[in-house]
Amino acid sequence: MSTLRREATLALAIARKDARAELRGRHAAVGALFFSAVVLLLFGFALGPDAARLAAAAPGLLWLALIFAGTLAVSRLHLLETDDGALDQLALYPVPRRAIYAGKALGGFAIMLVLGLVVLGAVGILFAVDVGGALLPLLATVVLGTIGIAAVGTFYAGLTVRLRAREVMLPLLMLPVLAPLLLAAVKATSAALGGDPFGELGAWLQLLAAFDVIMVAAGAATYGYLLED
Amino acid sequence: MPQTTIYVSPRSLGAPDQRPPAVVTVDLARLFAGNAALAGVSLTVEAGRAVALLGPNGAGKTTLLRLLATAIRSSFGTARIDGLDLDRDAALVRARVAYLSHDTGLYDDLTARENLDFAATMLGTPDRRVRVARALADMGLSDRADDRVRGFSAGMRKRVALGRILLGQASLVLLDEPTAALDDEGVGLVAQLMAAWRDVGVTVLVASHSTDRLEPHLDARVTLDRGLVSDVDGMGVISTPVGVPAERRVVVATR
Amino acid sequence: MKTRILGFVALVAVTVAVAVALFVVPADLNQGDAQRIMYVHVASAWLAYLSFGVTAVGSVLWLWKRDLRFDAVALSGAEIGVMFTAFAIWGGMMWGRPVWGVFWQWEDPRLTTTALLLALYVGYLLLRRLTDDPERRATRAAIVGIVAAIDIPIVHFSVEWWRGLHQGATIGSPDRVLNPAAPMAFVGTLLGMVAAFTLTWLYLMIRRYQLARAQGQREQEARLDRLASARTAEASR
Repeated sequence: MSTLRREATLALAIARKDARAELRGRHAAVGALFFSAVVLLLFGFALGPDAARLAAAAPGLLWLALIFAGTLAVSRLHLLETDDGALDQLALYPVPRRAIYAGKALGGFAIMLVLGLVVLGAVGILFAVDVGGALLPLLATVVLGTIGIAAVGTFYAGLTVRLRAREVMLPLLMLPVLAPLLLAAVKATSAALGGDPFGELGAWLQLLAAFDVIMVAAGAATYGYLLED
Repeated sequence: MPQTTIYVSPRSLGAPDQRPPAVVTVDLARLFAGNAALAGVSLTVEAGRAVALLGPNGAGKTTLLRLLATAIRSSFGTARIDGLDLDRDAALVRARVAYLSHDTGLYDDLTARENLDFAATMLGTPDRRVRVARALADMGLSDRADDRVRGFSAGMRKRVALGRILLGQASLVLLDEPTAALDDEGVGLVAQLMAAWRDVGVTVLVASHSTDRLEPHLDARVTLDRGLVSDVDGMGVISTPVGVPAERRVVVATR
Repeated sequence: MKTRILGFVALVAVTVAVAVALFVVPADLNQGDAQRIMYVHVASAWLAYLSFGVTAVGSVLWLWKRDLRFDAVALSGAEIGVMFTAFAIWGGMMWGRPVWGVFWQWEDPRLTTTALLLALYVGYLLLRRLTDDPERRATRAAIVGIVAAIDIPIVHFSVEWWRGLHQGATIGSPDRVLNPAAPMAFVGTLLGMVAAFTLTWLYLMIRRYQLARAQGQREQEARLDRLASARTAEASR
């Protein structure tokens, strides 16, 4: 079996293990989902009730909600590894570090994607934006954006899971790095919803894709260092 | 319960005198924030030997095992396992070493079988399903195999963790208090394991407070005290006393 | 000794540069005297980026060579960098108030990028405080430093795009100072300020590095002491 195939198998095994634990009662996804709903509601209170203003702000609110909920989700995904020192055990297997990263990031992405789709629908309903009219570009944006959040989040969650002030450090470290993703995703969403009058949608999606590639590569290259103790 | 042989490894590792020493440490030390958990240990352990690490709490037994398992890095000193350098060749070392720690590293929401199946995938165990079933049977877990680990007692969890070691191909096994929380039958299993490992030529380091049942399977006993080796007894282990003081470096003037 | 001379020279250079910027060089036609802050603001920003480049390089070298001196370099870069970043932001805001009418302008890519730079490296410094073991601390900081450094160009790029797609290079843009068509006096003053600031930066970096090394040595001595006392206690029994 070639190394790449072996690594892919290992990564999938890790993701599957996380999925199983998740379905059996970890509630990382469910917690994050409810959290994002609450966040959206609060946004509505803070910026409403003017429907026009909310509709204009909708792209930003969508991605803010996703990033905040995403922080929660990745942190819980790594928290499951504190079960009885599971992360330490994971680090001891003769498995390439980037495969471990890939596996955890994959699990994170799965949760983020579900989150993204649900929040997209919720934003459409709550803030009266026509999601259905621009479904394809919106889906593309959600997919690319959630890949980036998962990639960056997994990396920082792994780093902070062993630290003292981890609840504070995770968002503190993660959010500034996500700023360009936030910018690009919001711009792309905005463009998609508005019918892309300036033809900028493609550019923003490319920026998102580039961000994803770079961050996944960076995470894979450095995850090994954060596992060592 | 029928005394079947525990399936430990598909191959024998060869005669001890034809292999490099399993463990060679030179002045190995590890400092934590407040104290010197390991203050300088220079040990040579012959391949295929079973060595007990004795000593009171805080003597450094766990720290030594964790260092050899590559779970933590050393502060000073070097170590070689099967001739491989611990720092430089950590990945290669990991493929040869199995470690049972205080924490069992099991996933609460998964069943015993699922935990072992995951471990087997990570370890690259061939014939995964068969080997996992065998490991479960050897550890007396067949009837609880499909129960979630969350409900297991400490002793049961230890058995699962030991089962995980059976799935690997380690030439060096490090056990930290394997008999703690185990019932009589469990301790018997550990003794059987050690016998099986000896047959195949696996080197075993076991840290324990009470080694009574394991005595017949031990070659040597190393006693640690306050981070240093205070006594060595038996065959196959050499300890070099550490010099005093430790290496010192001159503080470089900053002008 | 050489560092002291450097420090003295830097001090003189900065004094001269500031004096020139304040009193000698003519004021900008459009922005008036407020434009003078630009010399300091741009110089600070340049050094902020340079510092974080140094941190990134130091981080990579630590992971590769495992020599704590590289970690000391990375730490120095981050701390000095935070200083210059904060200064640059302050300068930008002081300039913005009279020229734009507001302290903050979201369309200025440099300002927003610099603010994120500050956030990234404050995070780096806070992270360092959470670990006592010098090698673990160096490793954790190094990977954060590297990822942060990778992020900076992406941030810069995306904010440039953000600004570009909005109609908008206003007259009140700080870019005027960097414009190649700008009068020689402006360019000359700016270069002089940058040079003076760079000398100051160099001096501060060296001093901070020496401090970090001294602290590192002290830590190392304490560790060796603990080791030695453990062994003497054992040997004398």
